[in-house]
Amino acid sequence: MKDMTKDILAGAEGRRRNGVGDPLGPNSEIGRKLKQYYDELVSDDVPDRFAQLLSQLEQAEPAQKKD
Amino acid sequence: MAAVSQGFKTDLLGAIPSLRAFAVSLTQNADKADDLVQETLVKAWDKHESFQPGTNLKAWLFTILRNEFYSQMRKRGREVQDSDGIMTARLAVHPAQHGQLDLKDFRGALEQLPEDQREAIILIGASGFSYEEAAEICGCAVGTIKSRVSRARTRLQEILKISGEDEYGPDAISAQVTGTAAH
Repeated sequence: MKDMTKDILAGAEGRRRNGVGDPLGPNSEIGRKLKQYYDELVSDDVPDRFAQLLSQLEQAEPAQKKD
Repeated sequence: MAAVSQGFKTDLLGAIPSLRAFAVSLTQNADKADDLVQETLVKAWDKHESFQPGTNLKAWLFTILRNEFYSQMRKRGREVQDSDGIMTARLAVHPAQHGQLDLKDFRGALEQLPEDQREAIILIGASGFSYEEAAEICGCAVGTIKSRVSRARTRLQEILKISGEDEYGPDAISAQVTGTAAH
């Protein structure tokens, strides 16, 4: 019984490495939706305010001279 | 205080899309998310010396962002997510396309998770962090992250199954949830 559990676990580990049987992998509906949700957020256009902010920070404290 | 290197600035810029995505996942509100990212960038700039070059900058930034989020939430007495975030979801338009409606249901389900479960499943399932990295970002044990991810997944499955039976949006879902709770 114990050995059987071990085999099953070993199999699960192998499947996980292949992305099969990974609870959040490509074969999981939740996993796919999560990535879809997140990728959409990541690909959102970045507002200019952030580049401006970094430039302001840089002017307040100039970057190192080129090394 | 050592000057901030040009490379550090470039790396910060490159990390912004991921930071925004994580911030939206945490706050469930686009405006608050961008404020949070702004705070994170200022903090990161101020304490750039504590970043060790060669280590994972994204993980370091996510840690700062997360700490900032929770400290703001404590200050505001948790109104951050509960009022505005859910309001935004209710006001969201129903897109006509099929796949998008699906994603909207998913978003609604994600929103119902407690923050600790939501951040765990986002870090592992979407941001591409390992369990070890996620544990470091959240300041907890690897086993805690694993159990949060597992609970989040189970909960999402439950919620989405409920919403799958009826495709008429949040009201139908909440009616069913209420129905279930009354048993």
